[in-house]
Amino acid sequence: MSNVRLAEIQILEGSRKKGEPLGILFWICVGWIALNVFVAIFANVLPFQNPLNEDFTALNAAPSLHHLFGADDLGRDILARVAYGSRVSISVGIGAMIIGFGVGAPLGMLAAYRRGRFDAILTTVMYVMLAFPAIIATIAVLSFWTPRSLTKIIIVIGVASIPLVYRVIRTATLSVATKDYVVAAKVQGATDRRILMKELLPNIAPIGISFLLIGIATVVTLEGALAFLGLSVTPPTPSWGNMINEARTILQTNPWLVIFPSLALCLFLLCLNFIGDRIRTHFDVTEVKL
Amino acid sequence: MSDVREPLLKVRDLEVTFHAHGHSVSAVAGVSFDIFEGETLGLVGESGCGKSTTGKALMRIVEPSNGTIELDGTNVATLSGKVLRAARTKMQMIFQDPISSLNPRRRVKDIVAEPLDCWKKVQGDERTSIVHDLLSKVGIDPVVYGDRYARQFSGGQCQRISIARSLAMRPKLLICDEMVSALDVSVQAQILNLLEDLKAEYGLTLLFIAHDLAVVKNVSDRVAVMYLGKICEIGPADTLYESPAHPYTEFLLGAALEADPDSPMHSQTLEGEPPSPMNPPSGCRFRTRCPNATQKCADEEPLPQEVAPKHLVSCHYPLTIHHKTPTPTAVDG
Amino acid sequence: MSDEKLLVVKDLKTTFDTANGLLPAVGGVSFDLDRNETLGIVGESGSGKTVLSRTIMGLQPRTKVSVTGSAVIDGFEVVGASENDKRKIWGTEVAMVFQDPMTSLNPVMRIGKQIDEALRVRLGMDKAAAKARAIELLELVGIPSPQERYDAYPGMLSGGMRQRVVIAIALACSPKLLMADEPTTGLDVTIQAQILNLLDELKDRLKMSVILVTHDLGVVATRTSRIVVMYAGRIVETGNTRDVFYHHRMPYTKALLESSPKVSNHSHTRLVTIPGRPPNLLNLPDGCAFAPRCSYATDQCHLVRPELEPSSEPGHTFACWNPLPVNEEGALA
Repeated sequence: MSNVRLAEIQILEGSRKKGEPLGILFWICVGWIALNVFVAIFANVLPFQNPLNEDFTALNAAPSLHHLFGADDLGRDILARVAYGSRVSISVGIGAMIIGFGVGAPLGMLAAYRRGRFDAILTTVMYVMLAFPAIIATIAVLSFWTPRSLTKIIIVIGVASIPLVYRVIRTATLSVATKDYVVAAKVQGATDRRILMKELLPNIAPIGISFLLIGIATVVTLEGALAFLGLSVTPPTPSWGNMINEARTILQTNPWLVIFPSLALCLFLLCLNFIGDRIRTHFDVTEVKL
Repeated sequence: MSDVREPLLKVRDLEVTFHAHGHSVSAVAGVSFDIFEGETLGLVGESGCGKSTTGKALMRIVEPSNGTIELDGTNVATLSGKVLRAARTKMQMIFQDPISSLNPRRRVKDIVAEPLDCWKKVQGDERTSIVHDLLSKVGIDPVVYGDRYARQFSGGQCQRISIARSLAMRPKLLICDEMVSALDVSVQAQILNLLEDLKAEYGLTLLFIAHDLAVVKNVSDRVAVMYLGKICEIGPADTLYESPAHPYTEFLLGAALEADPDSPMHSQTLEGEPPSPMNPPSGCRFRTRCPNATQKCADEEPLPQEVAPKHLVSCHYPLTIHHKTPTPTAVDG
Repeated sequence: MSDEKLLVVKDLKTTFDTANGLLPAVGGVSFDLDRNETLGIVGESGSGKTVLSRTIMGLQPRTKVSVTGSAVIDGFEVVGASENDKRKIWGTEVAMVFQDPMTSLNPVMRIGKQIDEALRVRLGMDKAAAKARAIELLELVGIPSPQERYDAYPGMLSGGMRQRVVIAIALACSPKLLMADEPTTGLDVTIQAQILNLLDELKDRLKMSVILVTHDLGVVATRTSRIVVMYAGRIVETGNTRDVFYHHRMPYTKALLESSPKVSNHSHTRLVTIPGRPPNLLNLPDGCAFAPRCSYATDQCHLVRPELEPSSEPGHTFACWNPLPVNEEGALA
């Protein structure tokens, strides 16, 4: 067996690096998102003012020590409302994605792995659903399904996102499921369940997570749009979207009511998108061969 | 090799038909051969001949439409479910692309142990020692490289890991589907030598599928030549290459580019393109490109006939075989 | 007409600026090419042969790549030339045939139109003249029914046919030099033979020179008059084909020849392997790049890199401190 001894194995230099490094900007964005989530969860124990408290001495007040972000046309503290408003945006974002991924992802994976009639029927159904513009469908449903509540909004947006998640996860799984190592696993006697968990899932996870984050961002934007149309949570509950909506009419007198919720929304979305994209490039395992 | 022994693998009238867009393509159109224990059968042919599909059908990666595949007495072609999974431990396959044969996100030692884990036969220390043993046998130091991810290895190394994985359950039959085609010449040589060593050590039987004639001859005891879904000729490697009986085999060997400036340039090149498998010629499938074809070739499909011991050819007008022991072969018409 | 060499390459270096450092893919290559000559550039992956061929053609991007040295095609210096100037010689002086015909052809454009493009843009022909010439070219490369095939899409043709179309496009403006990078890899053996015969024929008819870049020694053995052997970005041996095959001096050449299985070998011939793997170009060792794997290496080989020195035959040079003895017998490896 002399060839065994003679085979000197050299690992490619530089292949220990995982791919592009995450970078400091990535962690800053993670920090910002974490801060938002923290504020959303602990808003009522943090030292914010009562967002519903109308302070008649500070109508449309500019930012000051008392009202760090200023006050709106009913004297309510904008900082507090932005903080409490984050609850709506974040819970819609996460809640809807839980529904979307919870249903869409397993179906997408299964359809891509099984193929055949199951895949054909399911994919046709999903693609038909995708043909309807999500926003219009959401608006239509929410207009009729009254009285509106946060739960209902989450459900509607969640269900609307199922076909999109299905398509992305199915495509990602298709490219993995045809690889030789999946065939090899089958040939070794692995059960389907084992193949899905051990071979497919780890390889779709990076794309899945990255799409999840971008999906949250999309959903949050959608909620903002719905609020703008008056179809989100009913006032006086604050949400970033309905704050911007309220601010439309008083833009000249009170720019702060537009600026701060918009800023909060933009930063939140930017960070999510950036994190999602970074994860995708970081876990990209295409090798560099010399 | 005594003829009285039962072959380890008996394939009879294997057919694989694909259906696409209303057409049916007969990729494998009735193939029969035996492989005896401890021997290597080479399967050569050009693209579209069905050799890879045959290998995949044996492994039930694609479904045979007809025929029997008897491995050690059991007809694998009709099994399903748990019984099929169990039967698969006796047969393993090595694929062409070494990189995509391994899950890039798993560690090498887990990949090699995967078959053991699927069947939960061994645990703990025994599992580790089996994995270490397999990796060392294929030339990969288990201590230094066992924890690395599969994506950190080169093509040749990946192929070694694939081999180690396939041996974990001690299969009887190993199907090599173009396993060295994607490797450099020097790496190819290492892998082929490794394969021969492991074959001896593990008592393997091999079906070696490839398009490179020199590589196939090097590893095989017997060679089968396929054209458009059928076997034209099957016989001992040395004699088949030296005196082919089927005109296609002769053309194939003539076209092979030998790394030798003084090798004779064969004047007759095979012209034209292979016919489409969707619409194969009647009778003998090679007749459209064969210089010796007659009306009989179009009317009647040639059946395998023995022209020398263990040397079968499917042709109405086989070429004369020159053997050391004079065995006159009459060329008809 | 001119006695001058068609291509003169002097100390050509191509270095890539990668995330992991500078990569000297081609580390100083010099050779020349006569008119009407076929040269083979042989090497395994990582040898730099493809990078060399693209550098000579002037196809390296401007960023992250540095090209130094000189490559003069019929008096035109490619290194440092502007895109506009290079465009003048592309197609008319030099043309390239790539490995995968499916990616070299635009899948959504009819093949006739793709040939027309070259004629109308470079030679200024009008529509009718271009079409007539295109059909002539299709016939020249051996495509049956060229008038009908003129309107075909690449997807309708087989691999061999597509490669013929690629050759037709390359020849449209009658270049003096044809650079063929792995033109037959991936094609069936019988189709390979057809394509190589075609290139031979065209080379004589059109008075062209051809450079065949390949890893396949069989391709160069009978089709080239001279060979260049590359390893780790440099030439390690060059000379007339017969001299390199039969009187090689550099151990890598010997090892490469010995590790290729041959059709003329007996079955189960043990292949001679080269231990280890090609070096990492980012981290080339001092001295000869092949020394870590060479069984003849001495201390000097690990410290100082050998330059090309002449052997006894004219035009035959090699780079080695401990060359193999001059082989008078002419035995192959």
